[in-house]
Amino acid sequence: MIVIQPFSRALNNGKQNPKNYPYWQELIKLIDEPIVQIGTDGERQLTDDFRTNLSISDLKALIHECRTWIGVDSFFQHFCWSEGKQGIVLWSVSDPLIFGHPENINLLKDRNSLAANQFLWWENTEHNPNHFVKPEEILPHIIHVGSLKSI
Amino acid sequence: MSKILCSVATRGRYFTTLPLVIQAVMNQTRLPDKLIVFDDNDEPKDMREDPLYQNLFYVLSCKKIQWEWLFANKKGQHHIHQMANTMSYDWVWRVDDDAVPEPNVLEVLCSHIADDVGAIGGTVMNPPHLPAVIESSGLIANIEIEPNIQWGLIKEKKQVEHLYCSFLYRAGVHDYNLGLSRVAHREESLFSYGLHQKGYKLFVVPYAVTWHLKQPTGGIRSETNPAMYAHDDQIFKNHVAIADSTIVVLNCGLGDHIVFSKILPKIKNPVVFTCYPEIVEGRSIAEAQQLYGDIDQWNIYKKMDQWKWTGSLQAAFERMYL
Repeated sequence: MIVIQPFSRALNNGKQNPKNYPYWQELIKLIDEPIVQIGTDGERQLTDDFRTNLSISDLKALIHECRTWIGVDSFFQHFCWSEGKQGIVLWSVSDPLIFGHPENINLLKDRNSLAANQFLWWENTEHNPNHFVKPEEILPHIIHVGSLKSI
Repeated sequence: MSKILCSVATRGRYFTTLPLVIQAVMNQTRLPDKLIVFDDNDEPKDMREDPLYQNLFYVLSCKKIQWEWLFANKKGQHHIHQMANTMSYDWVWRVDDDAVPEPNVLEVLCSHIADDVGAIGGTVMNPPHLPAVIESSGLIANIEIEPNIQWGLIKEKKQVEHLYCSFLYRAGVHDYNLGLSRVAHREESLFSYGLHQKGYKLFVVPYAVTWHLKQPTGGIRSETNPAMYAHDDQIFKNHVAIADSTIVVLNCGLGDHIVFSKILPKIKNPVVFTCYPEIVEGRSIAEAQQLYGDIDQWNIYKKMDQWKWTGSLQAAFERMYL
């Protein structure tokens, strides 16, 4: 089973968060194993099994149960890193060298896509689907991703 | 050689002590790289049109001292000092607009610069007191019960925990507390003590005398509202009350808390204020705001921006707290 965490925090101005991966539906079609989506109320449901507003202890149990996880730059990648569970992070405008963890598989299409200032609110950064890797580029990593030792 | 900014905040002293201070700065045996005057007057004037100041600016230019005159935002001198603190100079020499340094002051202060030093101050003589050595400890715990050691002649170099009025400090490593009121009571004690808490040494040194020619009018602290003083004094006391601890304020996201949690065990006596107590236990952010006035000095994103940070988030937390 794979856990996906598709969306970063909703922006205050109502625009789409530029860190949100745009090709989830295509990616999900390529994955040949059960998928559990996690998120919060109001987020778009992409899978049959969508669990919202999980407590920290429930999240912990879930990620230890799954084979791996795929997410965007949000608290979840830090949480899984903290729990020693390796996964895949899909990057676009935020810098994995600053906000990522080398223990994960960090997929960034192009460093030229990174926002010039990494430390401001994301409200002023436009969402651009061209900033992300394509689903078929992610697939090989999903097959090989494994578990880390606890850190 | 370290780049030094001389910062002067002024209010109501265009034609009393401010020209004396500027003249004293330009006559230093070690010149600053730049003089910046923060004009906090209610009705600021363009001093380039004044003949006296025209001559002062002329001399500054002849001596190749860059100078700048900025109209300040009238929020108090702590806001002014924080601007100077973040102007990318190595050191800032803060000089009051009624504190006239002798010609050797900056040179003497600079001679004590070292990697582990955060600030250096000399004597600040307050007329009509006669010059004499004051045997004070310079410890923050004694600030209410002993005269300030800088009010007298300094017999020998001495490490202290706080400085007063005019001193040279390492720029960009500790923030002024912007939560203080406009009078900014205790702002320099709080700031210099913060440098001490960050592990830098503070010294008072001999042979560096500044004459504090106090004026009955003007001054950046011309407010008289006692509530402002009480407010600032309480913030100061709240800091001193936990002198041996490290204040941690996590006014940031859930993921940031998770990353921070890895360095928490390495922090000396942490007193934590948190948004997510289920990740990092602690007291509320509202309480931190109430106790310390301004919590932006612990804003990790602001700090990373200020540091032009390219390392990891965890390393940024380590720089802030370890």
